[in-house]
Amino acid sequence: MIRMENVTKVYKGEVLALQNATCDVQRGEFVFLVGPSGSGKSTFMRLLNKEERPDRGRVFVAGRDIGELPSWKVPFLRRNIGCVFQDFKLLPNKTVVQNVAFALEVIGRPRSVIKSKVPAILELVGLSKKMHNYPDELSGGEQQRVSIARAFVNRPLILLADEPTGNLDPNTSLGIMTLLDRINRTGTTVVMATHDRSIVDKMRRRVVELDRGQIVRDQSRGVYE
Amino acid sequence: MSLRLDYVLRETASNFRRNITLTLATVITVTISLTLLGAALLFGDAVDNATVRWKDGVEFIVFMEPDISPELESDVRRQLEGSPEVSGFTYIDKDEAYAEVQDLLGDSPELVDVITPERLPASFRVKPTDTLPERVDELAAVFRAQPGVAKVVTASETIRAIEDLSSGLRQRVIIIAIVLLVAAAVLILNTIRMALFSRRRDIEVMKLVGATNWFIRVPFMFEGLVQGLIGGVIAIPLIWLTNNFFSVINDDVSLELLRGFTVDPSRVWTLGFQMVGLGAIVGTVGSGIAVSRFLDA
Repeated sequence: MIRMENVTKVYKGEVLALQNATCDVQRGEFVFLVGPSGSGKSTFMRLLNKEERPDRGRVFVAGRDIGELPSWKVPFLRRNIGCVFQDFKLLPNKTVVQNVAFALEVIGRPRSVIKSKVPAILELVGLSKKMHNYPDELSGGEQQRVSIARAFVNRPLILLADEPTGNLDPNTSLGIMTLLDRINRTGTTVVMATHDRSIVDKMRRRVVELDRGQIVRDQSRGVYE
Repeated sequence: MSLRLDYVLRETASNFRRNITLTLATVITVTISLTLLGAALLFGDAVDNATVRWKDGVEFIVFMEPDISPELESDVRRQLEGSPEVSGFTYIDKDEAYAEVQDLLGDSPELVDVITPERLPASFRVKPTDTLPERVDELAAVFRAQPGVAKVVTASETIRAIEDLSSGLRQRVIIIAIVLLVAAAVLILNTIRMALFSRRRDIEVMKLVGATNWFIRVPFMFEGLVQGLIGGVIAIPLIWLTNNFFSVINDDVSLELLRGFTVDPSRVWTLGFQMVGLGAIVGTVGSGIAVSRFLDA
């Protein structure tokens, strides 16, 4: 599903974000990316949806070399990759249901599809009762569920989560992890960058550790350290 | 690509409300520049029309000395009749000249009072066969040398003066209009940039979930287009007002020289629609540049 071949990424010619990284992720896998801040986790993710281009090496998504993808096709690549962030990135002037519908609307999905899919996904993340609330009326955990619903409503092949529990307390984080686990069980490949030791240790999934841009450990059913 | 019209309209309307003052400034600038441009072009047309009429008519006027003897006057007349270069002429005697002066100075009776028919010159209004300005000048010179002739005025001199004046004026107004039009495009560019900036979070999410650049771009470009269109539409009545001003000039008897200074209404309409089209182009280009820069950055 995801393949990185000897990828090197240098920002502004001096900051080394990734150094000769090679990594293979199979369809349906759940991968934790761990490592200190600035070790290249975010760059790893940003290379996958072509927000960044590698300076050297190649990146494959679903068998396609995305370096050869013309820029007008990049949006179509991104429709197959859902993204979740630490700061949720919800639109404050839209309700929960509007936030999720927006993701379908702007890729031109017909209204009938939006009407049936959005309530279903909100049911899945457990927010049916708060459909018409605005983001600032929700708790952090609820906001993150909305953002996961938005990322997953289009049934992407891959879900990228960049420290999704970074702003949440341990209990709420567990709820989010349960949700991501359920999404993973539907066959969606999940790549999650995190600093949360207890979650990694509890989940016992594949762990890829980065340090100063290099992959220093790749362990299936691994722990944080 | 499935771009829904209601989506575009909704987005555009909300952007308009958000940036109402800037939008207003933009629309006004578009209107002023298009009006100036339209008026300048119309003015040029009117001058062309006015001078065309003159070419068909009288090219020069031979004024006689007020106290000329009948013999000398008939010498001039015979010469006009005998000249192959004169296709026709009209004789205006002292009484007719007085009637014209009364018309011209009707608003100032004190001036009319001091003028008597005896003090006015009789004149011949001459239509030469060849209306080339140089030929007219030559012919006029012949009559200027005749005894009993007070002076000869060629219309072509006046017309040429008007043409020079108008082309200079027209050029300047067109340059000002183009500068203003560029200013309008830059204003539109900035308005759209403000709109983009105020919606940067939305745009970030749109890019994230895979909206195409065109999908993101179209509502903003539509906003610029609408601003240009509104400016152009407001310019139409203003261009009509300039046209009305022409007819005021035209109706003023004291500006007899400018008779025919008018433009066909259908031409005014065509020009108006051209200005609307130009407004639309300026709006679309300005916003297009803004959006492309924003999305590429």
